[in-house]
Amino acid sequence: MEAIVVENLTKHFRKAYDKTLKGYFISLAKRENRYEEFVALHNVSFSVKKGESYAIIGKNGAGKSTLFKVLSGIIAPDQGHVQMNGKVAPLIELGAGLSRDLTGAENIRLNCAIFGLSRARIREVYDSIVEFSELEDFINTPVKFYSSGMKSRLGFSIAIHVDAEIILIDEVLAVGDKDFKKKCYAKMEELRNEGKTLVVVSHSLKPLRTICDRALLLEKGEVTDIGSIDEILDKYEQEKPKKKKKKEV
Amino acid sequence: MFADIMKYKELLYFLVHKEVRIRYRNSLFGFLWTLLEPIGLMLIYTIVFGVILDGAGKNHLEAYPVFILIGLIPWTFFNNTIRRGTRALSGNSSLIKKVYFPREIFPITILLANLVNFVPAFLLVLVVGIFTPNLHLQFAQLLWLPGVIILQCLFTLACTFLVAVLNVYYRDVEFIVNLLLRGWMYLCPIIYPISRVMETKEIQEFTWLYFFNPMAIIISGYHGIFYPEEGLNHIPPSMIIYVIILTFFLLGVFWLIFKRLNRRVGEVI
Repeated sequence: MEAIVVENLTKHFRKAYDKTLKGYFISLAKRENRYEEFVALHNVSFSVKKGESYAIIGKNGAGKSTLFKVLSGIIAPDQGHVQMNGKVAPLIELGAGLSRDLTGAENIRLNCAIFGLSRARIREVYDSIVEFSELEDFINTPVKFYSSGMKSRLGFSIAIHVDAEIILIDEVLAVGDKDFKKKCYAKMEELRNEGKTLVVVSHSLKPLRTICDRALLLEKGEVTDIGSIDEILDKYEQEKPKKKKKKEV
Repeated sequence: MFADIMKYKELLYFLVHKEVRIRYRNSLFGFLWTLLEPIGLMLIYTIVFGVILDGAGKNHLEAYPVFILIGLIPWTFFNNTIRRGTRALSGNSSLIKKVYFPREIFPITILLANLVNFVPAFLLVLVVGIFTPNLHLQFAQLLWLPGVIILQCLFTLACTFLVAVLNVYYRDVEFIVNLLLRGWMYLCPIIYPISRVMETKEIQEFTWLYFFNPMAIIISGYHGIFYPEEGLNHIPPSMIIYVIILTFFLLGVFWLIFKRLNRRVGEVI
Protein backbone atom coordinates (compact mmCIF):
# COMPACT_ATOMS: atom_id res chain seq x y z
CA MET A 1 0.00 0.00 0.00
CA GLU A 2 1.45 3.34 -1.05
CA ALA A 3 0.99 6.31 1.26
CA ILE A 4 2.29 8.92 -1.15
CA VAL A 5 2.49 8.68 -4.92
CA VAL A 6 4.03 11.50 -6.88
CA GLU A 7 4.12 11.29 -10.65
CA ASN A 8 5.93 13.64 -13.02
CA LEU A 9 5.46 16.58 -10.73
CA THR A 10 6.49 19.90 -12.22
CA LYS A 11 6.22 23.29 -10.62
CA HIS A 12 7.16 26.62 -12.14
CA PHE A 13 7.15 29.87 -10.26
CA ARG A 14 6.43 33.14 -11.95
CA LYS A 15 8.30 36.13 -10.72
CA ALA A 16 6.63 39.25 -12.01
CA TYR A 17 8.99 42.07 -12.86
CA ASP A 18 6.55 44.86 -12.23
CA LYS A 19 3.08 44.28 -10.94
CA THR A 20 1.60 47.73 -11.59
CA LEU A 21 -0.61 48.59 -14.52
CA LYS A 22 2.03 50.96 -15.84
CA GLY A 23 4.63 48.20 -15.76
CA TYR A 24 2.19 45.86 -17.47
CA PHE A 25 1.62 48.20 -20.38
CA ILE A 26 5.28 49.08 -20.74
CA SER A 27 6.30 45.44 -21.01
CA LEU A 28 3.37 44.80 -23.31
CA ALA A 29 4.53 47.62 -25.58
CA LYS A 30 8.12 46.43 -25.51
CA ARG A 31 6.93 42.88 -26.17
CA GLU A 32 9.10 41.49 -23.44
CA ASN A 33 8.23 38.83 -20.92
CA ARG A 34 6.06 40.08 -18.14
CA TYR A 35 7.43 37.58 -15.70
CA GLU A 36 10.47 35.48 -15.16
CA GLU A 37 9.83 31.79 -14.98
CA PHE A 38 11.69 29.69 -12.52
CA VAL A 39 11.57 25.92 -12.46
CA ALA A 40 11.31 24.78 -8.85
CA LEU A 41 10.54 21.14 -9.51
CA HIS A 42 10.96 19.26 -12.75
CA ASN A 43 9.47 15.88 -13.45
CA VAL A 44 9.69 14.56 -9.91
CA SER A 45 8.37 11.05 -9.38
CA PHE A 46 8.58 8.89 -6.32
CA SER A 47 6.42 6.89 -3.99
CA VAL A 48 6.45 6.27 -0.29
CA LYS A 49 5.08 3.06 1.16
CA LYS A 50 2.77 3.07 4.08
CA GLY A 51 4.66 2.91 7.36
CA GLU A 52 7.88 3.90 5.70
CA SER A 53 10.16 6.72 6.79
CA TYR A 54 11.39 8.73 3.89
CA ALA A 55 14.06 11.39 3.80
CA ILE A 56 14.35 14.17 1.27
CA ILE A 57 17.87 15.44 0.95
CA GLY A 58 19.26 18.28 -1.08
CA LYS A 59 21.12 21.54 -0.90
CA ASN A 60 19.49 24.89 -0.34
CA GLY A 61 17.37 25.79 -3.31
CA ALA A 62 17.10 22.22 -4.53
CA GLY A 63 13.33 22.39 -4.25
CA LYS A 64 12.83 20.56 -0.98
CA SER A 65 10.54 23.13 0.54
CA THR A 66 8.52 23.49 -2.64
CA LEU A 67 8.09 19.74 -2.74
CA PHE A 68 6.93 19.87 0.86
CA LYS A 69 4.41 22.57 0.16
CA VAL A 70 3.05 20.60 -2.76
CA LEU A 71 2.78 17.47 -0.62
CA SER A 72 0.93 19.35 2.10
CA GLY A 73 -1.45 20.93 -0.40
CA ILE A 74 -0.48 24.58 0.05
CA ILE A 75 0.79 24.87 -3.51
CA ALA A 76 -0.92 23.21 -6.44
CA PRO A 77 1.34 21.47 -9.00
CA ASP A 78 1.49 22.76 -12.58
CA GLN A 79 1.80 19.32 -14.06
CA GLY A 80 1.82 15.83 -12.71
CA HIS A 81 -0.09 14.17 -10.02
CA VAL A 82 0.17 13.93 -6.25
CA GLN A 83 -1.78 11.37 -4.32
CA MET A 84 -1.80 11.26 -0.55
CA ASN A 85 -3.53 8.29 1.02
CA GLY A 86 -4.35 9.35 4.54
CA LYS A 87 -4.50 12.42 6.68
CA VAL A 88 -1.47 14.67 6.38
CA ALA A 89 0.04 16.78 9.14
CA PRO A 90 2.72 19.09 7.81
CA LEU A 91 5.35 20.68 9.98
CA ILE A 92 6.85 23.31 7.77
CA GLU A 93 9.37 25.75 9.19
CA LEU A 94 9.12 26.70 12.82
CA GLY A 95 5.79 25.94 14.36
CA ALA A 96 3.74 25.61 11.20
CA GLY A 97 0.40 27.29 11.42
CA LEU A 98 0.89 28.95 14.76
CA SER A 99 -0.88 32.28 15.04
CA ARG A 100 1.30 34.88 16.68
CA ASP A 101 -1.42 36.66 18.60
CA LEU A 102 -3.01 33.58 20.08
CA THR A 103 -1.76 31.89 23.21
CA GLY A 104 -0.19 28.47 23.20
CA ALA A 105 -3.42 26.91 24.45
CA GLU A 106 -5.49 28.62 21.74
CA ASN A 107 -2.99 27.55 19.13
CA ILE A 108 -3.33 23.95 20.21
CA ARG A 109 -7.10 24.21 19.76
CA LEU A 110 -6.80 26.05 16.46
CA ASN A 111 -4.34 23.60 14.99
CA CYS A 112 -6.22 20.55 16.18
CA ALA A 113 -9.34 22.02 14.60
CA ILE A 114 -7.47 22.67 11.35
CA PHE A 115 -6.65 18.98 11.24
CA GLY A 116 -10.31 18.17 11.68
CA LEU A 117 -10.35 16.91 15.27
CA SER A 118 -13.65 17.03 17.10
CA ARG A 119 -14.03 19.06 20.26
CA ALA A 120 -14.08 15.95 22.43
CA ARG A 121 -10.94 14.62 20.78
CA ILE A 122 -9.17 17.98 21.25
CA ARG A 123 -9.92 17.86 24.95
CA GLU A 124 -8.47 14.34 25.06
CA VAL A 125 -5.17 15.16 23.40
CA TYR A 126 -4.73 18.66 24.87
CA ASP A 127 -2.98 17.54 28.03
CA SER A 128 -0.59 15.21 26.30
CA ILE A 129 0.33 17.96 23.82
CA VAL A 130 1.13 20.35 26.67
CA GLU A 131 3.04 17.68 28.47
CA PHE A 132 5.10 16.66 25.47
CA SER A 133 5.96 20.25 24.59
CA GLU A 134 7.06 20.95 28.21
CA LEU A 135 5.40 24.37 27.97
CA GLU A 136 3.11 24.11 31.01
CA ASP A 137 4.28 27.46 32.38
CA PHE A 138 3.87 29.39 29.13
CA ILE A 139 0.75 27.84 27.69
CA ASN A 140 -1.31 31.00 28.29
CA THR A 141 1.30 33.32 26.80
CA PRO A 142 0.83 34.57 23.23
CA VAL A 143 3.03 32.66 20.82
CA LYS A 144 4.74 35.85 19.64
CA PHE A 145 6.66 35.90 22.92
CA TYR A 146 7.89 32.32 22.45
CA SER A 147 11.46 31.58 21.52
CA SER A 148 12.04 29.67 18.31
CA GLY A 149 12.81 26.54 20.32
CA MET A 150 9.51 26.81 22.17
CA LYS A 151 7.60 27.31 18.94
CA SER A 152 9.10 24.25 17.32
CA ARG A 153 8.39 22.23 20.45
CA LEU A 154 4.76 23.26 20.38
CA GLY A 155 4.50 22.69 16.62
CA PHE A 156 6.03 19.23 16.83
CA SER A 157 3.88 18.25 19.79
CA ILE A 158 0.72 19.25 17.94
CA ALA A 159 1.70 17.52 14.72
CA ILE A 160 2.26 14.16 16.38
CA HIS A 161 -1.04 14.29 18.24
CA VAL A 162 -3.52 15.03 15.46
CA ASP A 163 -4.00 11.40 14.41
CA ALA A 164 -2.37 11.95 11.04
CA GLU A 165 -1.26 8.99 9.00
CA ILE A 166 1.37 10.93 7.12
CA ILE A 167 3.61 13.37 8.95
CA LEU A 168 5.77 15.81 7.04
CA ILE A 169 8.68 17.27 8.98
CA ASP A 170 10.83 20.03 7.54
CA GLU A 171 13.99 21.22 9.30
CA VAL A 172 12.03 21.83 12.49
CA LEU A 173 14.28 19.90 14.75
CA ALA A 174 17.31 22.07 14.13
CA VAL A 175 16.41 24.45 16.94
CA GLY A 176 15.27 22.35 19.88
CA ASP A 177 17.84 21.59 22.57
CA LYS A 178 19.59 18.26 22.85
CA ASP A 179 17.14 16.68 25.26
CA PHE A 180 14.11 17.69 23.24
CA LYS A 181 15.72 16.50 20.02
CA LYS A 182 16.35 13.16 21.63
CA LYS A 183 12.74 13.01 22.74
CA CYS A 184 11.57 13.85 19.21
CA TYR A 185 13.69 11.18 17.62
CA ALA A 186 12.41 8.66 20.14
CA LYS A 187 8.86 9.76 19.32
CA MET A 188 9.51 9.48 15.61
CA GLU A 189 10.74 5.94 16.11
CA GLU A 190 7.60 5.24 18.07
CA LEU A 191 5.37 6.68 15.35
CA ARG A 192 7.20 4.59 12.81
CA ASN A 193 6.59 1.48 14.82
CA GLU A 194 2.92 2.41 14.98
CA GLY A 195 2.86 2.22 11.21
CA LYS A 196 2.71 5.93 10.41
CA THR A 197 4.42 7.34 7.39
CA LEU A 198 7.09 9.96 7.97
CA VAL A 199 8.68 12.25 5.44
CA VAL A 200 11.64 14.18 6.80
CA VAL A 201 13.80 16.95 5.46
CA SER A 202 16.78 17.61 7.64
CA HIS A 203 20.28 18.92 7.53
CA SER A 204 21.42 16.89 10.47
CA LEU A 205 22.15 13.75 8.54
CA LYS A 206 23.19 11.48 11.38
CA PRO A 207 19.78 10.91 12.98
CA LEU A 208 18.28 10.31 9.54
CA ARG A 209 20.22 7.09 9.29
CA THR A 210 18.50 5.60 12.30
CA ILE A 211 15.02 6.94 11.57
CA CYS A 212 14.60 6.70 7.81
CA ASP A 213 14.44 3.71 5.54
CA ARG A 214 14.81 5.34 2.17
CA ALA A 215 15.88 8.67 0.79
CA LEU A 216 15.50 10.84 -2.25
CA LEU A 217 18.17 13.21 -3.47
CA LEU A 218 17.02 16.42 -5.08
CA GLU A 219 19.24 18.67 -7.13
CA LYS A 220 18.02 21.83 -8.83
CA GLY A 221 14.47 20.60 -8.84
CA GLU A 222 15.20 17.17 -10.24
CA VAL A 223 15.46 13.79 -8.63
CA THR A 224 19.03 12.57 -9.01
CA ASP A 225 18.85 9.46 -6.89
CA ILE A 226 16.48 7.28 -4.91
CA GLY A 227 17.67 4.45 -2.71
CA SER A 228 18.21 3.17 0.78
CA ILE A 229 19.11 5.81 3.31
CA ASP A 230 22.71 4.66 3.84
CA GLU A 231 23.42 4.47 0.16
CA ILE A 232 22.10 7.97 -0.56
CA LEU A 233 23.69 9.58 2.46
CA ASP A 234 27.07 8.05 1.65
CA LYS A 235 26.86 9.48 -1.83
CA TYR A 236 25.69 12.83 -0.58
CA GLU A 237 28.46 13.07 1.97
CA GLN A 238 31.09 12.02 -0.52
CA GLU A 239 29.95 14.66 -2.89
CA LYS A 240 30.33 17.46 -0.40
CA PRO A 241 34.10 17.49 0.18
CA LYS A 242 34.69 17.29 -3.55
CA LYS A 243 32.84 20.52 -4.12
CA LYS A 244 34.79 22.20 -1.37
CA LYS A 245 38.02 21.21 -3.00
CA LYS A 246 36.88 22.62 -6.28
CA LYS A 247 36.25 25.94 -4.66
CA GLU A 248 39.71 25.94 -3.13
CA VAL A 249 41.29 25.36 -6.51
CA MET B 1 -18.70 20.54 -1.29
CA PHE B 2 -20.66 21.54 1.79
CA ALA B 3 -19.93 18.19 3.41
CA ASP B 4 -16.24 18.97 3.05
CA ILE B 5 -16.69 22.19 4.97
CA MET B 6 -18.89 20.60 7.60
CA LYS B 7 -15.95 18.41 8.53
CA TYR B 8 -14.29 21.58 9.74
CA LYS B 9 -17.12 22.85 11.88
CA GLU B 10 -14.94 22.89 14.97
CA LEU B 11 -12.42 25.08 13.14
CA LEU B 12 -15.22 27.29 11.88
CA TYR B 13 -16.54 27.69 15.39
CA PHE B 14 -13.10 28.57 16.70
CA LEU B 15 -12.41 31.13 13.97
CA VAL B 16 -15.83 32.78 14.28
CA HIS B 17 -15.42 32.99 18.02
CA LYS B 18 -11.98 34.53 17.60
CA GLU B 19 -13.21 36.99 14.96
CA VAL B 20 -16.10 38.18 17.11
CA ARG B 21 -13.92 38.52 20.17
CA ILE B 22 -11.02 40.39 18.64
CA ARG B 23 -13.15 42.85 16.66
CA TYR B 24 -13.97 44.98 19.67
CA ARG B 25 -10.84 44.18 21.62
CA ASN B 26 -9.52 47.24 23.51
CA SER B 27 -12.76 49.12 22.96
CA LEU B 28 -14.76 50.54 25.81
CA PHE B 29 -18.22 49.66 24.50
CA GLY B 30 -17.33 46.28 23.04
CA PHE B 31 -20.25 44.46 21.52
CA LEU B 32 -22.40 47.60 21.81
CA TRP B 33 -20.61 49.01 18.78
CA THR B 34 -22.74 46.73 16.63
CA LEU B 35 -25.62 48.96 17.64
CA LEU B 36 -23.85 52.26 18.17
CA GLU B 37 -22.47 52.33 14.63
CA PRO B 38 -25.86 52.14 12.86
CA ILE B 39 -27.46 54.39 15.49
CA GLY B 40 -24.84 57.05 14.82
CA LEU B 41 -25.41 56.75 11.09
CA MET B 42 -29.16 56.82 11.68
CA LEU B 43 -28.80 60.14 13.53
CA ILE B 44 -26.75 61.60 10.69
CA TYR B 45 -29.21 60.49 8.02
CA THR B 46 -32.21 61.57 10.05
CA ILE B 47 -30.80 65.08 10.44
CA VAL B 48 -29.61 65.42 6.84
CA PHE B 49 -32.31 63.62 4.89
CA GLY B 50 -35.15 63.70 7.40
CA VAL B 51 -34.94 67.23 8.76
CA ILE B 52 -32.90 69.27 6.28
CA LEU B 53 -34.19 67.64 3.12
CA ASP B 54 -37.54 66.75 4.65
CA GLY B 55 -37.40 63.13 3.45
CA ALA B 56 -39.96 61.95 5.97
CA GLY B 57 -42.66 64.48 5.06
CA LYS B 58 -42.25 64.08 1.32
CA ASN B 59 -42.43 60.32 1.50
CA HIS B 60 -45.22 60.16 4.09
CA LEU B 61 -43.18 57.91 6.36
CA GLU B 62 -44.04 57.36 9.99
CA ALA B 63 -41.12 57.21 12.41
CA TYR B 64 -38.43 58.02 9.88
CA PRO B 65 -35.51 57.14 12.25
CA VAL B 66 -36.93 53.63 12.72
CA PHE B 67 -37.35 53.30 8.96
CA ILE B 68 -33.69 54.17 8.46
CA LEU B 69 -32.58 51.72 11.17
CA ILE B 70 -34.52 48.82 9.65
CA GLY B 71 -32.74 49.26 6.35
CA LEU B 72 -29.41 50.32 7.75
CA ILE B 73 -28.75 47.35 10.02
CA PRO B 74 -29.04 44.72 7.26
CA TRP B 75 -26.98 47.02 5.04
CA THR B 76 -24.28 47.31 7.71
CA PHE B 77 -24.21 43.50 7.84
CA PHE B 78 -23.66 43.34 4.07
CA ASN B 79 -21.21 46.23 4.05
CA ASN B 80 -19.04 45.00 6.92
CA THR B 81 -18.93 41.42 5.67
CA ILE B 82 -17.67 42.49 2.28
CA ARG B 83 -15.20 45.01 3.60
CA ARG B 84 -13.72 42.56 6.05
CA GLY B 85 -14.10 39.78 3.53
CA THR B 86 -11.71 41.51 1.15
CA ARG B 87 -8.99 40.77 3.67
CA ALA B 88 -10.28 37.32 4.55
CA LEU B 89 -7.45 35.62 2.68
CA SER B 90 -4.81 38.34 2.44
CA GLY B 91 -5.00 38.98 6.18
CA ASN B 92 -4.42 35.33 7.05
CA SER B 93 -1.30 34.79 4.99
CA SER B 94 0.68 33.24 7.84
CA LEU B 95 -1.88 30.48 8.19
CA ILE B 96 -2.43 29.98 4.47
CA LYS B 97 1.27 29.66 3.73
CA LYS B 98 1.81 26.91 6.25
CA VAL B 99 -1.11 24.54 6.48
CA TYR B 100 -3.78 23.52 4.08
CA PHE B 101 -7.49 23.35 4.73
CA PRO B 102 -10.38 24.47 2.52
CA ARG B 103 -9.83 28.18 2.12
CA GLU B 104 -13.55 28.77 1.73
CA ILE B 105 -13.47 28.64 5.52
CA PHE B 106 -12.10 32.19 5.69
CA PRO B 107 -14.93 34.02 3.85
CA ILE B 108 -17.51 31.83 5.60
CA THR B 109 -15.96 32.77 8.95
CA ILE B 110 -16.32 36.48 8.16
CA LEU B 111 -19.94 35.99 7.14
CA LEU B 112 -20.85 34.05 10.27
CA ALA B 113 -19.04 36.47 12.58
CA ASN B 114 -21.00 39.36 11.09
CA LEU B 115 -24.22 37.37 11.24
CA VAL B 116 -23.63 36.89 14.95
CA ASN B 117 -23.48 40.69 15.26
CA PHE B 118 -26.41 41.31 12.95
CA VAL B 119 -29.09 39.07 14.42
CA PRO B 120 -29.25 40.52 17.96
CA ALA B 121 -29.03 44.07 16.58
CA PHE B 122 -31.93 43.45 14.22
CA LEU B 123 -34.02 41.79 16.92
CA LEU B 124 -33.53 44.91 19.02
CA VAL B 125 -34.78 47.08 16.17
CA LEU B 126 -37.82 44.82 15.90
CA VAL B 127 -38.54 45.47 19.57
CA VAL B 128 -38.09 49.22 19.04
CA GLY B 129 -40.47 49.07 16.08
CA ILE B 130 -43.12 47.21 18.05
CA PHE B 131 -43.10 49.91 20.73
CA THR B 132 -43.09 52.82 18.29
CA PRO B 133 -46.56 54.41 18.00
CA ASN B 134 -48.20 54.33 14.54
CA LEU B 135 -46.09 51.36 13.43
CA HIS B 136 -47.82 48.02 13.13
CA LEU B 137 -46.05 44.72 12.93
CA GLN B 138 -47.05 42.84 9.75
CA PHE B 139 -47.10 39.18 10.76
CA ALA B 140 -47.41 37.92 7.20
CA GLN B 141 -44.24 39.83 6.29
CA LEU B 142 -42.44 38.57 9.38
CA LEU B 143 -42.79 35.03 8.01
CA TRP B 144 -40.63 36.02 5.06
CA LEU B 145 -37.85 37.26 7.33
CA PRO B 146 -35.85 33.99 7.69
CA GLY B 147 -35.94 33.58 3.92
CA VAL B 148 -34.80 37.15 3.39
CA ILE B 149 -31.92 36.72 5.82
CA ILE B 150 -30.81 33.46 4.20
CA LEU B 151 -30.97 35.05 0.77
CA GLN B 152 -28.93 38.00 1.94
CA CYS B 153 -26.35 35.67 3.52
CA LEU B 154 -25.95 33.68 0.30
CA PHE B 155 -25.67 36.81 -1.81
CA THR B 156 -23.15 38.32 0.61
CA LEU B 157 -21.15 35.10 0.66
CA ALA B 158 -21.01 35.06 -3.14
CA CYS B 159 -19.62 38.61 -3.21
CA THR B 160 -17.18 37.84 -0.40
CA PHE B 161 -15.76 34.83 -2.24
CA LEU B 162 -15.01 37.03 -5.22
CA VAL B 163 -13.43 39.99 -3.44
CA ALA B 164 -11.46 37.83 -0.99
CA VAL B 165 -9.67 35.89 -3.71
CA LEU B 166 -9.20 38.84 -6.07
CA ASN B 167 -7.64 40.90 -3.29
CA VAL B 168 -4.85 38.36 -2.95
CA TYR B 169 -3.76 39.09 -6.52
CA TYR B 170 -4.50 42.81 -6.67
CA ARG B 171 -4.77 44.90 -3.54
CA ASP B 172 -6.61 47.52 -5.61
CA VAL B 173 -9.75 45.50 -4.93
CA GLU B 174 -9.86 46.91 -1.42
CA PHE B 175 -10.11 50.48 -2.67
CA ILE B 176 -12.59 49.66 -5.41
CA VAL B 177 -14.79 47.77 -2.97
CA ASN B 178 -14.91 50.64 -0.51
CA LEU B 179 -15.97 53.06 -3.20
CA LEU B 180 -18.49 50.69 -4.75
CA LEU B 181 -20.12 49.96 -1.42
CA ARG B 182 -20.66 53.63 -0.74
CA GLY B 183 -22.45 54.12 -4.04
CA TRP B 184 -24.30 50.85 -3.66
CA MET B 185 -25.79 52.03 -0.36
CA TYR B 186 -27.49 54.98 -2.06
CA LEU B 187 -28.90 52.60 -4.67
CA CYS B 188 -30.71 50.72 -1.91
CA PRO B 189 -33.91 51.90 -0.25
CA ILE B 190 -32.38 52.92 3.08
CA ILE B 191 -32.76 56.67 3.38
CA TYR B 192 -35.73 56.72 1.00
CA PRO B 193 -38.55 54.22 0.56
CA ILE B 194 -38.66 51.90 -2.43
CA SER B 195 -42.17 53.14 -3.26
CA ARG B 196 -40.68 56.50 -4.11
CA VAL B 197 -38.62 54.90 -6.89
CA MET B 198 -41.71 53.13 -8.20
CA GLU B 199 -44.08 56.07 -7.98
CA THR B 200 -42.11 59.21 -8.78
CA LYS B 201 -43.16 60.03 -12.35
CA GLU B 202 -39.79 61.40 -13.55
CA ILE B 203 -37.88 58.24 -12.78
CA GLN B 204 -40.59 55.64 -13.23
CA GLU B 205 -39.25 54.42 -16.57
CA PHE B 206 -35.95 53.56 -14.92
CA THR B 207 -37.50 51.51 -12.13
CA TRP B 208 -36.73 48.22 -13.91
CA LEU B 209 -33.08 49.24 -13.95
CA TYR B 210 -33.20 49.98 -10.25
CA PHE B 211 -34.54 46.51 -9.55
CA PHE B 212 -31.43 44.91 -11.03
CA ASN B 213 -29.83 45.62 -7.67
CA PRO B 214 -30.64 42.55 -5.59
CA MET B 215 -29.84 44.35 -2.34
CA ALA B 216 -32.65 46.84 -3.02
CA ILE B 217 -35.18 44.03 -3.05
CA ILE B 218 -33.63 42.24 -0.10
CA ILE B 219 -33.75 45.39 2.03
CA SER B 220 -37.36 46.08 1.14
CA GLY B 221 -38.00 42.59 2.50
CA TYR B 222 -36.98 43.95 5.89
CA HIS B 223 -38.97 47.16 5.50
CA GLY B 224 -42.19 45.28 4.86
CA ILE B 225 -42.26 44.11 8.47
CA PHE B 226 -43.41 47.57 9.61
CA TYR B 227 -44.09 49.42 6.37
CA PRO B 228 -46.55 47.36 4.32
CA GLU B 229 -46.30 49.83 1.42
CA GLU B 230 -42.56 49.21 1.12
CA GLY B 231 -42.56 45.43 1.42
CA LEU B 232 -42.10 42.52 -0.94
CA ASN B 233 -45.80 42.32 -1.83
CA HIS B 234 -45.46 45.61 -3.73
CA ILE B 235 -42.53 44.42 -5.77
CA PRO B 236 -43.20 42.54 -9.01
CA PRO B 237 -42.91 38.78 -8.22
CA SER B 238 -40.76 38.30 -11.30
CA MET B 239 -38.14 40.56 -9.72
CA ILE B 240 -38.13 38.50 -6.53
CA ILE B 241 -37.62 35.32 -8.53
CA TYR B 242 -34.85 37.10 -10.42
CA VAL B 243 -33.06 37.92 -7.15
CA ILE B 244 -33.26 34.31 -5.98
CA ILE B 245 -31.97 32.93 -9.25
CA LEU B 246 -29.25 35.57 -9.47
CA THR B 247 -28.06 34.82 -5.94
CA PHE B 248 -27.62 31.11 -6.63
CA PHE B 249 -26.08 31.81 -10.01
CA LEU B 250 -23.53 34.25 -8.58
CA LEU B 251 -22.77 31.93 -5.67
CA GLY B 252 -21.96 29.17 -8.15
CA VAL B 253 -19.92 31.35 -10.49
CA PHE B 254 -17.98 33.21 -7.82
CA TRP B 255 -17.30 29.98 -5.96
CA LEU B 256 -15.85 28.52 -9.16
CA ILE B 257 -13.70 31.63 -9.65
CA PHE B 258 -12.62 31.30 -6.04
CA LYS B 259 -11.62 27.68 -6.56
CA ARG B 260 -9.81 28.47 -9.79
CA LEU B 261 -7.80 31.40 -8.43
CA ASN B 262 -7.25 29.62 -5.14
CA ARG B 263 -4.76 27.30 -6.82
CA ARG B 264 -2.08 29.99 -6.87
CA VAL B 265 -3.00 31.69 -3.62
CA GLY B 266 -0.38 29.70 -1.70
CA GLU B 267 2.36 31.19 -3.90
CA VAL B 268 1.34 34.79 -4.41
CA ILE B 269 0.10 35.64 -0.96
